[in-house]
Amino acid sequence: MHLKSLLLGAIVFVMALGVAMITHGQQPPSTIYNPYPPGILPPDLNSELARVQREVDFIEAEAIRQWHAIKPPVPTGNPPILKDTGVASVEILGKLMNYDKNISPFKNTACSSCHMPYAAFSGPIPSVNLTMMAYPGSDRFRAGKRQAQRYTYSSYFPPLQYNATQGAFFGGNFWDSRATGYLTRDPAGEQSQFPPLDPAEMGNPDSACITYKLSLAVYRPLFEEVWGKDSFPSSFPPNTASICATPVGAAIFGGSATPVMLSPDDRTKSNNVYLHWAQSISAFEKSLSVSPFTSKFDAFLANKYTLTAQEKAGYDLFRGKGNCNSCHLDGRSTAPAPTDLGAVDTGVAADVTPLFTCFGSSNLGLPKNPRVAILYESTPDSFGFTLNPAGFTYTDFGLGEFLRSGYETAASPNSTWTKFAPTSDGQMQTMTARDVALVPPQCTGGTDAPGPYFQKEFFHNGYIKSLKQLVHFYNTRDVYPFAVESGHCPAGTVEKVNCWPSPEVPQNMDMTVGKLGLTDAEENQIVAFLKTLTDGYTTPYPDINTYTGTCMTGGNASTQGNSTILSAEELRAGAGARLP
Amino acid sequence: MNGFLVRVVVPALAMMLWPIAFAGQTNPYKAKATEELPPRNKVAHIQITQGPSLETAYSNWAIIRWTSNNPGGSDEHFGIVTYGTDPKNLSETAKSHIRLNRNHPYTEFRVRVDGLRPRTTYYYTVDSMEGNGARDGVKSPVRSFTTR
Repeated sequence: MHLKSLLLGAIVFVMALGVAMITHGQQPPSTIYNPYPPGILPPDLNSELARVQREVDFIEAEAIRQWHAIKPPVPTGNPPILKDTGVASVEILGKLMNYDKNISPFKNTACSSCHMPYAAFSGPIPSVNLTMMAYPGSDRFRAGKRQAQRYTYSSYFPPLQYNATQGAFFGGNFWDSRATGYLTRDPAGEQSQFPPLDPAEMGNPDSACITYKLSLAVYRPLFEEVWGKDSFPSSFPPNTASICATPVGAAIFGGSATPVMLSPDDRTKSNNVYLHWAQSISAFEKSLSVSPFTSKFDAFLANKYTLTAQEKAGYDLFRGKGNCNSCHLDGRSTAPAPTDLGAVDTGVAADVTPLFTCFGSSNLGLPKNPRVAILYESTPDSFGFTLNPAGFTYTDFGLGEFLRSGYETAASPNSTWTKFAPTSDGQMQTMTARDVALVPPQCTGGTDAPGPYFQKEFFHNGYIKSLKQLVHFYNTRDVYPFAVESGHCPAGTVEKVNCWPSPEVPQNMDMTVGKLGLTDAEENQIVAFLKTLTDGYTTPYPDINTYTGTCMTGGNASTQGNSTILSAEELRAGAGARLP
Repeated sequence: MNGFLVRVVVPALAMMLWPIAFAGQTNPYKAKATEELPPRNKVAHIQITQGPSLETAYSNWAIIRWTSNNPGGSDEHFGIVTYGTDPKNLSETAKSHIRLNRNHPYTEFRVRVDGLRPRTTYYYTVDSMEGNGARDGVKSPVRSFTTR
């Protein structure tokens, strides 16, 4: 009897402790856990995160006004169509979700916190783009392994599939294509389901948390107009708010993927709500608010814009000597180029809205970027979670790692793909070249120094810091190869100018590029052409004017960002603190 | 002669005529649907027009490159180098991915050969193949290079 009392007491104590720990999770931990050596996090990080949060709130308020300006749709016919304003309703619902910071555990991170319109829906903080590369999650001391990929035109990618004739994979979303679209046939929608649950991003512990937070959102009436009155679970457990304010991976969850205890019926409803989350955001991403085909190049295709001499020379190089359009397809006919005015295009497939991607993946041989924040997150954080136990030995194998359901990726839904993992290692998605140069309008110099420019980052690991460097990398990767890591280029050379460190993943390198034979002037001409792919020329790009930060000036595009290059050893020793 | 026409005369004519074509900025390309294109037909005869030759050599790796007419077939292609230290026994194979450009009459193949020994002479031939492994059947002379 005495033993039973002790046991009962112990159980009550453990339960009380658990409740206390979960309650503790409602606020960010008071004890700052910082796994990074000095200098990894940019000094203006907090103020810049606050700046972006203000901008996100501004656009969310705008979206609420836009929603209220829409006449409520009327379900009509069978199957029911949301007559007249159905399209506008689902698109604005997606926008409201995209800018809703309340979805994250600490109510401080929206999808858009890492994807703002003035950066073509990629990273909005110049200093992050310059240094740590990935963006802090809702738990500010967790950050991921790759840069925030642009939304623009991502919704045009087909579901991931293996093409046996081509012997290659096409489609999917994310750098490693892990949002396959295998169920919904909508990779962009499926993509939107990952970051809210990714421990390095929003980090919700359960997809039911997104459902719960949507049930509390001010735009819930719109959600129910679009997706139905009875969409939400009938009830949530009393501890749902506490659970959903604690980031995934916390030891308190004991590894459970579904700590919100719902009935089977309510779990099914929750899963459907999360599916509608995906569909709504996908609708927004495919809308004219994100992917509008309003660039100079689109105007050129419509005979409403005359390419400048520099742009035209760049276009000729893009599809000629540069061979860029072998992967970044420009919609040109498959017939030989017409050589006189009025020549008839006899090709089988030209395209007035070319996407500048082949939907495939390749290993371009980017060097490892020692500044990537995740490399330092090898010890347990305040919640007992270790994001990257491998630490600095982590290697990003991209598509190959996903195909084998490997480390730091998602489970593959198709075991027949696993055998292709070794030949896919190192491959990353071929993004559209559209909007690669899109920046806030006040940064009139674009992406490149001397500016005024907006510091972006390029390729999956953000190693490249300007478009000039991007083209130069394609052009000279195999001209200036050195068997060193970043930060160790030999004396007399300049990294990214005449020294390219070893590729992070040497196998499966794409050899379409690497020695293109372009002159310095020709590289600049291709950069000029890339700028013609920036949306907003024929119609202003929505929310482009929301950047309230500053533009950078000075330096030159070839060595842009080089002042922040340090070797891995130096960074681990804290030498980054010496940098401005 | 055909190589001369393809590599010199046609591009020169194209360069002369492009300004005329763009003088009015008329877009001569007619629209069709956006879709992943099926593979093109493979050409009947694939012929090397330049090379194969050594692009660069280091102590333990090298790049071999050559140019052929565009082989067609799958866009995803591989260049193949068969090599060894005995010209009569080329027992090693290296392959590298490239992607064909449908608008180019020619294709430049480049293959990275890893795992070589320093200051060693290697002999090699080249071929190419489609993404599904079907060889293009390129006729290649045996060439050689020496690592540093």
